[in-house]
Amino acid sequence: MISAIGAGALRIAQEVGGIVLLAGQVLRALIPPRMDTRELWKNLYKMGNRSVPIVVLTAFFSGALMMLQAGPFVKKFGATGLAGWGAGYAVLREIGPILIALMFSGRVGANNTAELSTMTVTEQLDGLRALAIDPVRFLVVPRVIAMVVMLVALTAIGDLVALVGATLIGRAMLDIELSSMYYSITENLKPYDFLHGIYKSIAFGVAIAMSSCYFGITVRGGAVGVGRAVNAAVVAAAVSIMLLDFFLTYLTG
Amino acid sequence: MRKQIEGIGEATLRLCREGLELWRVYVSTIAGLVRGLTKRKDKIARRGRAKGELVRQFHAIGNKSIIFIAVTLGFIGMVMTYQACLQLGRVTGDYSQVGSQFLRLIISDFGPTLCGLMLATRVGAGIAAEIGSMKVTEQIDALRMSGVLPIDYLIVPRFIACLVMMLVLAVLGSVVMYFAGAATAHYSFGVNPNTFFDLSFIRPRHLILFLLKCAAYGAAIPIVAGFCGLRARGSSEGVGWATTAAVIGSSFAVIVLDFVLSAGALWLTGGDL
Repeated sequence: MISAIGAGALRIAQEVGGIVLLAGQVLRALIPPRMDTRELWKNLYKMGNRSVPIVVLTAFFSGALMMLQAGPFVKKFGATGLAGWGAGYAVLREIGPILIALMFSGRVGANNTAELSTMTVTEQLDGLRALAIDPVRFLVVPRVIAMVVMLVALTAIGDLVALVGATLIGRAMLDIELSSMYYSITENLKPYDFLHGIYKSIAFGVAIAMSSCYFGITVRGGAVGVGRAVNAAVVAAAVSIMLLDFFLTYLTG
Repeated sequence: MRKQIEGIGEATLRLCREGLELWRVYVSTIAGLVRGLTKRKDKIARRGRAKGELVRQFHAIGNKSIIFIAVTLGFIGMVMTYQACLQLGRVTGDYSQVGSQFLRLIISDFGPTLCGLMLATRVGAGIAAEIGSMKVTEQIDALRMSGVLPIDYLIVPRFIACLVMMLVLAVLGSVVMYFAGAATAHYSFGVNPNTFFDLSFIRPRHLILFLLKCAAYGAAIPIVAGFCGLRARGSSEGVGWATTAAVIGSSFAVIVLDFVLSAGALWLTGGDL
């Protein structure tokens, strides 16, 4: 029992340490920024453009959900002018960045782990090393940059779509006028609320990218190992999103 | 132009075909469940699943997720009360309703939905990885050859375990979230913890919604993940794709089901949930 707890703690420590070491290697590769630009553009397209539909759908539903929760409450007090404030605040600061990051981690992070771990188990990484190409510089760095940039961009798009979703659902189900919703959002929400979500999405992007690349390049043992690596990567990404969210909220207020 | 229209048509057809296949997996799972319940003395009924498989799945899906669910939901509960208090402090400064409203939100929406999203990530990916690697190593074909239905053998025990454990973990997660929120409000904003033990906003329909959401997510996650796992093809690459598809599919199913159930409840109660 106790040895099981110890083994679990050691494994977690090993994984966190590995992720931090990999982050150090990525940082060192960025100064001076030398990387494969073709690989970078390819990843930016694959991770960003291809994820737009799922992010837009998720954001629309999350905005609609926040409206469904906030709407009845403000209507009970007859203050429909505050509906946009309630839903918009929750969407921009918390629910939008978190849900989009979770979907991004599922769509892009897991996919990236699957790709890297397939390369690892088929010994393509060793092949790169034999050709004197640094796998971190060639494979990991472009992916990390692409994921961080694209998560920020997708969160910005998703925030807008979520506000539109909240407005439309408010009109359709709760009879809140479009114009009052517009004034409510523009009057009560500050640019800082939007930026707060964007700061978080930068941190989430780094966390998703590092965990997905780490589990991708340390995988062992064929097809079973690939499945397990993808599972471990999404779980690690989800935990670190929640932890980072808490600490960033606490620190930046 | 013609190529684009063809592309759209192809995508639509593929989507319809996948939906049909998903529906078939769902129906077969329910059929397998019913078949397992009807006690028959002949051998066909015993071809279902291995002995002790259900207990093993309860352990793998439930017990192993406890820490994950408690940590993630606890932190998000802290964040949500922190943000709510921060915003209320700017507008009215009256914190007395935070606790009761937070409890209402947890029960009617956030508790089951966030727990469902977390389970979709952990359990959905796990189921797809396991079944997918069995598929590509031809163990599924071996099962079929020995006269065992793969859905009865693999998906039905996971379905039952996920359905039960979703409810258990959602209750646990909601409690953790609630106490984490109460502690944050007390230590950061000096809110009296007694205001958190106020059940005046909770109505029976919130509890019904809680149970309905748990049942819906608990049923959707193993079906979508098992479907993705059974569809895996090729070798290690196929398993990776299947696991990715399972995470996306089951998370998205949770969000859509949440929307449908919340909107339905709002419609049924006439805008006063």
